[in-house]
Amino acid sequence: MAPRQRIVLVGGGHNALVAAFYLAKAGFKPLVLERREQPGGAAVTEEFHPGFRVSSLAHTAGPLRADVARDMRVEKFDCAMIHPDPRVFAPAPDGRAILFYNDHAKTAGGLARLSAKDAAKYTEFASALAEVAEVLAQLTRVTPPAIDHPSPEDLWNLLKVGRNIRSLGKKRIFDLLRWGPMAVADFVSEFFETELLRSAIAARGIFGAALGPWSAGSTAVLLLRAAADPHPAGAASFSRGGLGSLTRALAESARKAGAEIRTNAEVAHIRGKDGAVTGVVLASGEEIACDAVVSGVDPKRTFFQLVDPAQLDPAFVLRIKNLRASGTVAKVHLALGDLPAFPALASVIGPDGFRQGLSGRIHIGPELDYLERAFDASKYGEFSAHPWLDVTIPTLSDSTLAPAGKHVLSACVQFAPFRLRHGDWTTQRDALGKAVLQTLETYSPGLSSHVEALQVITPQDLESTYGLTGGHIFHGELALDQLFTMRPVLDWARYRSPLRGLYLCGSGTHPGNGLTGASGANAAREISRDLR
Amino acid sequence: MGQHYDVLVIGGGHNGLVNAAYLARAGKKVLVLERRAVLGGSAVTEEIIPGFLFSECSYVVSLLRPEIIRELDLPRHGLEILPLDGTFTPMLNGDHLWRVNDHAKTQREIRRHSRLDAEAYDEFSKMMVPMCRFVKPILSMIPPDPTSLNPRDLRKLYFLSRRLQQLSSDERYTLIQLMTMSAADFLDQWFETDALKATMSASGIIGTFLGIRSPGTAYVLLHHYMGEIDGAFRSWGFSRGGTGAISNAIASAAREAGAEIRTQAPVAKILVKNGRATGVALESGEELSATIVSSSADPHLTFEKFLDPKELPSDFLEDVRRYKFRGSSGKVNLALDALPDFKTIPGPGAHLRGAISLSPSMDYMERAYDDAKYGRFSRRPYVDMVIPSLTDPSVAPAGKHVLSCFVQYAPYKLAPGEGTWDDQREKFGDTVIDTIAEHAPNIKSIIRGRQVLTPLDLEREFGLTQGNIFQGELSLEQLFFLRPAPGWAYYRTPIDSLYMCGSATHPGGGIMGAPGRIASQVILKEWKKAS
Repeated sequence: MAPRQRIVLVGGGHNALVAAFYLAKAGFKPLVLERREQPGGAAVTEEFHPGFRVSSLAHTAGPLRADVARDMRVEKFDCAMIHPDPRVFAPAPDGRAILFYNDHAKTAGGLARLSAKDAAKYTEFASALAEVAEVLAQLTRVTPPAIDHPSPEDLWNLLKVGRNIRSLGKKRIFDLLRWGPMAVADFVSEFFETELLRSAIAARGIFGAALGPWSAGSTAVLLLRAAADPHPAGAASFSRGGLGSLTRALAESARKAGAEIRTNAEVAHIRGKDGAVTGVVLASGEEIACDAVVSGVDPKRTFFQLVDPAQLDPAFVLRIKNLRASGTVAKVHLALGDLPAFPALASVIGPDGFRQGLSGRIHIGPELDYLERAFDASKYGEFSAHPWLDVTIPTLSDSTLAPAGKHVLSACVQFAPFRLRHGDWTTQRDALGKAVLQTLETYSPGLSSHVEALQVITPQDLESTYGLTGGHIFHGELALDQLFTMRPVLDWARYRSPLRGLYLCGSGTHPGNGLTGASGANAAREISRDLR
Repeated sequence: MGQHYDVLVIGGGHNGLVNAAYLARAGKKVLVLERRAVLGGSAVTEEIIPGFLFSECSYVVSLLRPEIIRELDLPRHGLEILPLDGTFTPMLNGDHLWRVNDHAKTQREIRRHSRLDAEAYDEFSKMMVPMCRFVKPILSMIPPDPTSLNPRDLRKLYFLSRRLQQLSSDERYTLIQLMTMSAADFLDQWFETDALKATMSASGIIGTFLGIRSPGTAYVLLHHYMGEIDGAFRSWGFSRGGTGAISNAIASAAREAGAEIRTQAPVAKILVKNGRATGVALESGEELSATIVSSSADPHLTFEKFLDPKELPSDFLEDVRRYKFRGSSGKVNLALDALPDFKTIPGPGAHLRGAISLSPSMDYMERAYDDAKYGRFSRRPYVDMVIPSLTDPSVAPAGKHVLSCFVQYAPYKLAPGEGTWDDQREKFGDTVIDTIAEHAPNIKSIIRGRQVLTPLDLEREFGLTQGNIFQGELSLEQLFFLRPAPGWAYYRTPIDSLYMCGSATHPGGGIMGAPGRIASQVILKEWKKAS
């Protein structure tokens, strides 16, 4: 292959690394250009206080799609995945709590203390979710079909999906059709009566979204997540050394396969001529000519900052402009001198199990209305005074992240709107940190006294430091109108763009959604087909 | 048992009457049974205060299918639709937004607020035409069963996908957005003027328990945008004599075709023998037998009150119990001695002849919803008002007026601590009047009498379960082939010979008549098959 025959990937996030791996496997010689000093994008491990390291943004994998993990053999590259059990601990302020184990019967056993009815329903719910998730998982693996002129492969895929859907049976098909557009609060209430249980499950439907549990369509988001991991409470999948070691392993694997990865190499501009890309220009001024550019960064940044929009069709530009990508998540990291105590644990596990009980994710958001109120604030450009927190204490299963005996607490905080109505994030940063500490204190009295350092990553930081336009962790809202054939926008959901040779492979493309590598793998398939 | 009928229609609302009229015209011996003393269900006119005729519930017409007007020859039976021109939105800053049917005038008005919006409004109006065209045939079709391999269903699905394919890319893009987005997000793409977006998004929440920012509301916006009179999109009107006159015209057409109509004949039970409906028992004890029973009542009344749950398959019963009503609106009808005097346009004028929308901003609308979410009525509700007496003087004594206010949100279920609707009714009425007074301060001094209808009143008086004005939410999971229950969107029920013909069936609520008409077609087809 001549040296010009090359593919440049912009951004070294996990999807780009996955895409680079598959492209290298397909015989191309991809070059990944990462702006920061390490690849990983939103899945990086960084030191936020001397001696304390944390998964800066994403703190659990999606998980990585099984075939991707297998193909890239991540375990071989010094990446040990940790799968805590229980996965989720959900305390209520009144001292009750739920532990979600891998084993549904075990979870149900604990639920019986709260509601015999819910305990009985739980396994039924888990299997209903697993059934539909399997079909949806298949959908996440295909390239969304071209509506105008579906290719034979599109039709074949649709036929296969259709056959699988049919195998669900009439009742389940209708369930699927009915559930998708529903409010996740309604969805969980169809099964359960305990608010704590409802909210712990419903939370998946609103993570990273500008939706509350009572917003219609939030069930679709939950189902999309279930496609990656059908467990009712969602994934708890860490890697030793933080998620940065997962992306480092992905990078190593891609390199081994033949990809080149350059860090501190910021792409300033994607060059095009006569409707086709010709190369990229780095911030340093260096120019790299190439046949194809694969952008792992979000669609807005790709088409408005890296490409000259004048080269694009105005209708396409308008759609990208209309793409909703205003983030709602902030991140708070605590360096703790000691392990915080959660008294509610005593209601579900003996003292010996306390550490284990906290080793997965901790769900702070005891009622649907609590989550909804947290969302309400964001509608008016305020952050939640009582936010919903998705917390991990990674040091419980990985002592390498903090000095001996000390701990790290990492919290995804929702809702923190990218655009504040009053003030800005530089002035509100501390107030958000305070609200998070106060909220934690309700469930873990005395926690504040262990805090040695506190870091707040605001949605503004997500944009400026991590390059996520609008601070949106999924490169664009996960909503009914921005999924599948509409992701990122209708007619351009097949990883291609109006500029010939420019592709997208990030979370802003189908299926998007978290650290699964699915977008990258799907994109690589389409790109190698075009360039072969 | 008394006489035997071909078809007994339960409920004399507009859909029940439409259903009866079509069946009678096909030669069937039909009897309509209405619980109340007046016909019309929610499309009813009553003299609540001497001399003042209130369109108590439904107060404007727009969706009434033109084919029904034509086929039943309703104008000959007294139907006269008077135009309702424009929507006037007073704003909190003392300004206003007044859109009228005259497109150029509206554009000039919008330009006052935003030059960009004026241009976008043009584009928007143009884009909505193909959208309405796309949905229009769906309104008169029996929804297909997406799980079936029956050629008839497949043909319909193919028809729909072909139509989708035939749209231009931009049209398809907009259509998908309308089907899935929130009204607020959808409008945000087009406009910047807050009051304009708020007023337009208001039609996306009517009759739903959703806020303007909740996905699914853009569809309801389209549903209301489709209003048509004589084929002209986007026009709303009054019926002379109030909305009850529509029901009366349909009743007259039904009677002329040979249908019998009995009022004050509340149904107690649907009689079932061997899984087949054989008639009904009235509350009076009288029993009537029929070959077919067609219920225009909602699923809750039809299946949980009129039938013994034991008669129904458990899956279906579960669907019926899950069906969402969640009434979210109330109605305040006022008899006025004079016209309200708005701060932004003082005195009488054409702005009072159309709809007056108290929807000054998106946040206002959203906060109104927030109240309801947590179980209380909006402290500052969205109010959609009309003064029909300006267009149709017959509904009020000379010089006096009727003001009809649709109010949202008023949640059927009040939170603990918020009291009951019976003790909140007057407070609710006061809140509405206070809200109006912010824009038209003279309102309190010109009220001669008032009627406050809470969601509980709508349930008790008009048989609307939980006070839902559409016999069930128009949310995506309860539309088309999911309305009212998955697998039962075809006007049939698990009980042989029992049909549904009300707003709880496709295409849903509003004075549309489509459910009654389509149900009659289904019934006649099956009749033919059986005989």
